[in-house]
Amino acid sequence: MKPMEISKEKAAFLGRITASVSHDIQNVLAIIKETSGLMEDFFLMQQSGGLENFDAKVGKCLQTIKKQTYRGVDLTSGLNGFAHTSDVHQISIGIFGTLNRLISIAQRLFNQKGVDVSLMECPTPCSILTDPVLFQMTVFSCIECLIDIIGAKKAVSLDIQASEHGLAIRIVCQDTPLAYDDYSPKLIQSTQWTTINGLCEQIDMSAEIISDVPGILISIK
Amino acid sequence: MDKIKVLLIDDEIEFVETLAERLELRGYISKIAGDGESGISMLAKESFDVAILDLMMPGLSGLDTLRQIKDIDKTVPVIMLTGHGATKDGMEGMRLGAFDFLMKPLDINELLEKIKLALNPSAQG
Repeated sequence: MKPMEISKEKAAFLGRITASVSHDIQNVLAIIKETSGLMEDFFLMQQSGGLENFDAKVGKCLQTIKKQTYRGVDLTSGLNGFAHTSDVHQISIGIFGTLNRLISIAQRLFNQKGVDVSLMECPTPCSILTDPVLFQMTVFSCIECLIDIIGAKKAVSLDIQASEHGLAIRIVCQDTPLAYDDYSPKLIQSTQWTTINGLCEQIDMSAEIISDVPGILISIK
Repeated sequence: MDKIKVLLIDDEIEFVETLAERLELRGYISKIAGDGESGISMLAKESFDVAILDLMMPGLSGLDTLRQIKDIDKTVPVIMLTGHGATKDGMEGMRLGAFDFLMKPLDINELLEKIKLALNPSAQG
């Protein structure tokens, strides 16, 4: 990949994630707006003749607003943290924290494809010195590539593995009957696979197809 | 006059539940569906005067849901909900037969006005 091409890909990735999260933030605001509007309706009804269970109805609205406010805070914090990963080209990052935030803010994009993505707890804190945006792009591309191959209504899980051989990220889909001979050629032939390998080269990583279960193993050299 | 029956299709359940309650306070009958598939199945079983449809939904997308709604009932007016920046999708929806689209967060009065126009398109100025 040429530097210009990488910059374009990075901008597209950042834009895609930002657009998805901002859509979620709009949904949060839409709920808060409708709920406060409903409270206004209740107050007007209470003033003009009284409303049965007024306190309970208003209380329920306040709970909804509170819940959505927390959701909004989580979304904006995640987005802010993600946006700041583009501040530097190389830095030491915690793998679990970075992936956890990426999956959290990109979940809407995965859900739209009918797939739920989760990250397994990592007992050992692992960090790497890398370009944080390229690292996230690589993992995101692997997840998306796998989703496109396995189809909707599945679950994908990520597992960070630390051993004497180094660090690796295992991205697998457990609940599919696809055999290696079914998914392997599709993965290799996909345009995303070429992109993934191009990205891996940039950050000294390698991606390989797992043989026992549909998945991709990203090894960190 | 019979009450106007509205079908609300959006995966943001708290949003549609609240909107449905506000519409009911204004004399409408509202039913909700949490995804495109459920909305289509409800429309296949009973008739609605108007459908309010979110464009960005997991699973069956808003535009695909719209296509299937129009296959079931060409006459039911569909008002789509989009986020800011998704005007292109809103326009595409209108090309596919949607009556109009509105941006989220909504203005309830604007929605009521749009529903009235959808039910009586000749009143549009």
